[in-house]
Amino acid sequence: MATETERRFEIAAVGRTPLVVAFVVVQALAFAAAYSVGQPTWYAYFIVGSTAVTAYALDGTSFTVATATAGSLLMVALGLPLFMFVARQTPALVIEKALDPDVHRVLYLGVYGPLLAALLSLLFGVPLAHLLAKGFSGQPLVESLVDLPLVVPHSVAGIIILFGFGKGGAFPQFSVLGTMVGLVLAMAFVSAPYAVNASREAFEAIDDRLEYASRIHGANNWETFRRVTGPLAVRGMITGGVLAWARAVSEFGAVAVVAYSVEFFYPFAGGTVTAQHAPVFVYNTYLQGGLEESGAVAFLLLAVSAVIFLLVRYLTDDGTAGGMP
Amino acid sequence: MTRLTADIRSTFTADGAEPFTVDAALEVESNETCVVLGPSGSGKTLLLETIAGFHEHTGVVTANGTDITGQPPEERGFGFVFQDYALFPHMTVRENVEYGTRYRESSRDAAELLAELGVAHLSERNPPTLSGGEKQRVALARALAIRPSVMLLDEPLAALDVPTQQALRDDLVDVLADVTAVYVTHNRTTARAVADRIVVMQDGRVVQRGTPEDVFERPASPMVARFTGANVIDLSAAPSLRRILDDDIGSQARSDGSGRGPVDRDSGTDAADHVAIRPEAITLNDADGDLSATVERVVREDATSRVTLAFDDVTVEAFATSPPVVGTEVALSFPRDRLHPC
Repeated sequence: MATETERRFEIAAVGRTPLVVAFVVVQALAFAAAYSVGQPTWYAYFIVGSTAVTAYALDGTSFTVATATAGSLLMVALGLPLFMFVARQTPALVIEKALDPDVHRVLYLGVYGPLLAALLSLLFGVPLAHLLAKGFSGQPLVESLVDLPLVVPHSVAGIIILFGFGKGGAFPQFSVLGTMVGLVLAMAFVSAPYAVNASREAFEAIDDRLEYASRIHGANNWETFRRVTGPLAVRGMITGGVLAWARAVSEFGAVAVVAYSVEFFYPFAGGTVTAQHAPVFVYNTYLQGGLEESGAVAFLLLAVSAVIFLLVRYLTDDGTAGGMP
Repeated sequence: MTRLTADIRSTFTADGAEPFTVDAALEVESNETCVVLGPSGSGKTLLLETIAGFHEHTGVVTANGTDITGQPPEERGFGFVFQDYALFPHMTVRENVEYGTRYRESSRDAAELLAELGVAHLSERNPPTLSGGEKQRVALARALAIRPSVMLLDEPLAALDVPTQQALRDDLVDVLADVTAVYVTHNRTTARAVADRIVVMQDGRVVQRGTPEDVFERPASPMVARFTGANVIDLSAAPSLRRILDDDIGSQARSDGSGRGPVDRDSGTDAADHVAIRPEAITLNDADGDLSATVERVVREDATSRVTLAFDDVTVEAFATSPPVVGTEVALSFPRDRLHPC
């Protein structure tokens, strides 16, 4: 029987990357087999069983086996629909949608709009995050306001935005209803908390003494931010920006209320076009064309989002994150 | 050539902590090193950071007679060495040392400074890859590079191992010889090595100030005596010592008519409750002495032994080059001019 030391030695000898790759390949093969025989439920059992066996092989303690097994149940709930979604796509329909100019506009807006919202969130969120990290009187009130969009139903958020910046709002001569500004504002409303909180955590993680050291050796507040605080927190800011972008990509409720359909400059057409934000477009397609057609558009949106998300993660990864190799 | 004064009377509140009041004054002459000595939590770091301008306060800080209380840290021209180095982790050693030079009209060459401190070979490394001693040398170079008018040092040796402490302490003695400095530490050995004058702090207040000899030989209170490593003897628990001292007072009074003995020369009281004496002042003899004591413990140190001795209801520590045997009786002599009431 292998001792703990021997077991660890064996894992070290194999390496973590091959283990993870082997696990993923086995999972993919198992799903393909179960799906091909028309029994995807079998795969659900397989996830739970294979996770428990892997946990036992790697660690061997009942605690780890129990936590891994419980976690795998959640993975079934989250992962199985995703696998089924991918497996049930009709390639011809996906290709047809991928070649559809209307879908191109939707995908462009689905990336471009959230990008503007994320940049807006960072532009004004980072200074606020710096203030929150330093602390000030009345801070709990501001914190509550920042986090409010996390708990407010997003259709309500849309209504709030229209009250503030719609017809008869704070700027009576200007309404954000159905405009690109409204779209970005609705997205920023729900995604700004992610940018603020991630940046704030990054600022809080910086030792005050580094700022003291910068100041005492001659740098003023601006220079200290430019040369020390900013560079040390930049990873947190990027994480916040990516989270804000991802949240904005998926936003439906607030956008559907404020900017159901917007006109925007589309460089590939050389002029302005009208389109809906991708989640709204997917929902409309579902209502009008059913599950299969909307699924093909959703698949394309998912693929574009995943590629951008992984690209940003790859570009900003410094190799210090734990977990997956 | 900067004379520094600070008179801080402020209550500071940190997140989640009890308010802490600092009520302390310092006067540091040009090119003098003032050591602020005190136990953890005595407020010495807070005092130093306040002098640096890191905290708002109700007090006055002056440099060469000019009130700089309202000046931000970057305009004071001070250097600061932190206990935990506070090197910028995203910059190389050279970039760290050069950090402040662009803000000063006059600065020192980074390469030259690093060479002087024996870390020139590290100039392109990043701080996280350095040892504690190397980091602190770089931090010292960074502070010196801006030609500071005043050096502020917050326990710069505290995080280092003993051999590194000794080596860096020697360097610090050289570096601090020609700059005005305030040096915060809880280490009495370091304090004695670098100080021109010492300020002892407890609970945010100054409890004694003076030259190293004043503080180490004539502690103002039992707390200061203990903190500086002196024996504190409660005379009510040491009647045999009290008798000897009373006899001395009597004989001196008879001879000079003053009525005062050597022990109470500073305090002006004949009835001190405690006396302090440094361990190195007590001598152990085989035969003659002031009184007899039992050897309770012997601990070997570098070139000598620290001996714990018991008499009456008290214990004292002394040093001996040839350690006595535990359990034996030895004679102790207390030089009267080294006994100090506190």
